[in-house]
Amino acid sequence: MTLSNIIIALIIILLLSLVGLYVFYSRGDDERLKLDIGGAAPRASGGNDASAERGIRNRLLGLGFAAASVIGVLVGRLWSMQLVSSEEYAKQAEQNRTRTISITAPRGRILDRNGNEIVGNRPSLTVVSKPNVVQNEIEVKLLANLIGMPAAAVRRKIQDQSEGAQSDRTVAQDVSRRVVAFIGEHPYLFEGVSVEERTARHYPFGKLAAHVVGYTGTVTREQLEASEEANDEGTIVYQAGDTVGQAGVEYEYEDVLQGVRGEQGVHVDANGAVSDYSTLVAPQSGSDVILTIDATIQRAAEESLERIIEMVRTTVSKNCCAGSVIAMDVTNGEILAMASAPSYSPNIFVGGISNDDWDALQSDESANPLMNRAISGQYPSASTIKPLSVYAALDNGIANGKSEYECLGWWTGFGQASGQYCWKQSGHGTMNLKSGITYSCDVVFYEIGKGFFESDEPEAFQEKLREWGLGSSTGVDLPGEGVGRVPDAEWKWNYYTNASDADRMWKGGDFTNLAIGQGDLLVTPIQMACAYAGIAMGGVQWRPHVLRSIRSRTGTGSVIDYEAQQLREVVEDRAYQNIIRDGLEGAVYEESEWIALHFLNMKERVAGKSGTGEQVGKNPTAWYIAFAPADNPRYVVVSTIEEATWGSGSAMYVTRDVLGALFGEPDDVMVAISDLQVAD
Amino acid sequence: MATEQNILEGDTRGFMDTFLERFGFDVSNVGGKSLQRKGPLSEVYLMELVPNLLIIIFGTLVMWSASLTIADASFPRHIAGIAIGLVGAALVWAYDYRVCAGMPTLLLVVDVVLMLLPSVPGLGYNAMGMTGWVQIPLIGLRFQPSELAKPVTILLMASLTAEYNGNIETLRDYLKLCGVLCVPFILILTQPDLGTGLIVMVLGGCIIVCGGAKRSWVLVTLGIIVVGSIVVVASSMTEGLPSILKQYQINRLIVFVDPSVDPSGNGYNLQQAKIAVGSGGLLGKGIGNATQAGGGFLPEAHTDFVFALLAEEFGFLGSVALLLLFGWMTISVVLLALRIESVFGKLVLAGVAAMWSFQLLQNVGMCIGIMPITGIPLPFVSFGSSSMIAQMISAGLVQSVWHHRTKVG
Repeated sequence: MTLSNIIIALIIILLLSLVGLYVFYSRGDDERLKLDIGGAAPRASGGNDASAERGIRNRLLGLGFAAASVIGVLVGRLWSMQLVSSEEYAKQAEQNRTRTISITAPRGRILDRNGNEIVGNRPSLTVVSKPNVVQNEIEVKLLANLIGMPAAAVRRKIQDQSEGAQSDRTVAQDVSRRVVAFIGEHPYLFEGVSVEERTARHYPFGKLAAHVVGYTGTVTREQLEASEEANDEGTIVYQAGDTVGQAGVEYEYEDVLQGVRGEQGVHVDANGAVSDYSTLVAPQSGSDVILTIDATIQRAAEESLERIIEMVRTTVSKNCCAGSVIAMDVTNGEILAMASAPSYSPNIFVGGISNDDWDALQSDESANPLMNRAISGQYPSASTIKPLSVYAALDNGIANGKSEYECLGWWTGFGQASGQYCWKQSGHGTMNLKSGITYSCDVVFYEIGKGFFESDEPEAFQEKLREWGLGSSTGVDLPGEGVGRVPDAEWKWNYYTNASDADRMWKGGDFTNLAIGQGDLLVTPIQMACAYAGIAMGGVQWRPHVLRSIRSRTGTGSVIDYEAQQLREVVEDRAYQNIIRDGLEGAVYEESEWIALHFLNMKERVAGKSGTGEQVGKNPTAWYIAFAPADNPRYVVVSTIEEATWGSGSAMYVTRDVLGALFGEPDDVMVAISDLQVAD
Repeated sequence: MATEQNILEGDTRGFMDTFLERFGFDVSNVGGKSLQRKGPLSEVYLMELVPNLLIIIFGTLVMWSASLTIADASFPRHIAGIAIGLVGAALVWAYDYRVCAGMPTLLLVVDVVLMLLPSVPGLGYNAMGMTGWVQIPLIGLRFQPSELAKPVTILLMASLTAEYNGNIETLRDYLKLCGVLCVPFILILTQPDLGTGLIVMVLGGCIIVCGGAKRSWVLVTLGIIVVGSIVVVASSMTEGLPSILKQYQINRLIVFVDPSVDPSGNGYNLQQAKIAVGSGGLLGKGIGNATQAGGGFLPEAHTDFVFALLAEEFGFLGSVALLLLFGWMTISVVLLALRIESVFGKLVLAGVAAMWSFQLLQNVGMCIGIMPITGIPLPFVSFGSSSMIAQMISAGLVQSVWHHRTKVG
């Protein structure tokens, strides 16, 4: 530009100087160069006055000169524009008509361990609108009528800026071909409205494993900002309106599932209409995530959980509606099934969840269906902790393999005033550690608690529980895991700040409570799954996980397998291990005939433990944890049901059903309603 | 022969004459060889006709390519405009223009009537924010009378100025001429059509200057115009003072001074026109390949900005060819003015040459950013039959001057 300006300036200066020269000389003595005429020439019409004629002549020559100058100036300017600066203008012309459309990459699928598609993609016709359409009342009403939405809802969607202030607003997803055709045929009615073909999440199994796979949603402002701040190589930079994982595997493995956007260069006209296509950078599809989940077992787990909850609700506990179940491979931590009730359909999140749906999911009556109780639910472990209490007692010399206890149903180890009942108030008679587990005799554990209370190192008990993984997260590859709580003296003092000093003190009763898994202890089902996996595997715990492998959908389709990690190994004496295992097997086959009835129809031996976590003002939380085969353990199953009844009378059935699915041996013994009341 | 004439004419010949003669031009005004009648072709002034027809053909080619992508650019209508224009030009050619020298009053009346036509209820038609259009009832044909007013104004001013035979003696006569010129000028401004008003002003002023106005008066007048314009612009741009210019006119001036002010708003047209011209390069993008005009980025690509379209498609070679054709055509008119005897004829030709030169400068200049944007068509090229017919009538005037050259004594 500067060069062309200089050239123009030069041309103008040249012309001006020529004109100046001409005028200057015409003023001199040389009459022939004078522009003007002097003197008074006679007014005439015949044109015979020489001086007048010459005046016109010179002025006409000046006119010709001016006309030639015009051509000269224009040519000069064109020379600078079309020859000197031509490339820059050509670049601008190209910029003018070139636009880049980003192409969303298909998200990776989520498959079960056998390759069944739990979450896939499907095409979805989406009506989008420019933000200013909201100002056109008639158009909004037409659009609302066409889609079949209230006009107010359409207006709200168009005003929604969550996808970015400038970007198009999503009005409706999955519209019919009829709507698409109508909008296409009446562009003048729907100015600023267009139809895009997008992909949407698709759930071939419906809500199966909803809590594991999670759901997707439009990227939030916080996520956008976070992705923009992170400048690391390989980090996905989101754009407003992107679909990202918001829960479960979708969230946990977002980096894997999210593809890389492609870019399509297009030539457009001034109205933005595409005339032809130029360069294309193809989008890279996200990788498929293959889960350890087995769809068949998952379905059995969900159905059983639902069925038993329904049964409990309609018989003994009308508030019962929530629970969870986990089936895990104890040899490597693979989770084959993980269900949580109540559940939800991830499909309602596709294309943005409506406010009503969201409010319904958040309401008290719905009992928080979005929560994955298998990892986030925190309950007193109840009697399921008893094997760990036994390990603690044995390891700390509180008891030994020969210890015997007398259960009368009422225990007064801390004096009559603070006496405690065994759950079986008629008493168990003479008990040892093994039978204490088998019959879940509380008195045995009151004694253990008392033993710790009176020992030099009372908190070695809590240390043991922590060693087994309570009070810390398992590191399962799902978001939102709870850590539970192993209470100790320090915690109690700091927690009950409003209580009297005496009440804040750690007491013997706290130990007896801890030993039977009641009181302030909180555990998550996944922690108990790991703990029992450790019991089954002689102390070795594997990190629980739902990811089996990642399969790339681009290039060679390479597969990366999840490498099982050992979470921890708790070294316990072999003899102690046998006491525990015998006790747990006894709990299945010896404690009561009717429990045994449900397991005798399996050819694998099962070791298990029920639990009934007391809740203030509510029905208890039922637990049943089992692993099988008892002699060569493979799977552990943990079931919980909130506001249920005795663990062995409710959660037990769920555990049995899942074991049945794992080993292909369904429970053919009918569940009797009377069984629901059977003792723990 | 040149020597002979030099002796005959003595000191009436300027050095420019000698200069031009050296390049083979015959600038004698007393019936040189080329002014003699010889065969049927001598009835037309080929020096003007040939470049004129070439420009029209070039313009037709451009319009055809414009019609491929621009819905408004109707190629048949363009051809129809040329056809009507040819008929008009032929009629004017056959008509003895000198008759007009004696009827200034009638010409003034015609001029005023033409200017007032759009204001007549039932005839006026509003287009592009101007009321300068007339729609003939029943037929529905629309035209811009102000375009036709250009040749009429040329004849009017030439007939008035010719009376002084190249020497306007008194200031009163000069002011009278200026006053008459102000009539069509002001009438056009009220439409409002500043562009056409400027053309009328320039061609009228040129006729007055060529007709013998004293240089001091002209300089003073120019000074008054410059100062007046500055006052008008300054007052329009200052808040509180009366705004004579419309906001869009002020914006155009601002953009002209600094094109980078508002490239997507007020400066958009200029920016896009410059991109179109510049991106044409040496050889252009070829017919129908203009991305700026074809993609709709260049507005008014078939009317006001048609030169940008031409420059984009045909490049530097094409646009310079067009400019040279215009130069040839305009200079040929000036040369004819030098050669003929009738003062009236000289002034008519001066008016036509001034009109073409100024319109070319204004139209092409605004496409390349050296003139502010005004809605002035490029003669013989821009889409619009009113302009085409008016320009061809003007060309017919040139031909009429040639046709009737020997009848003057």
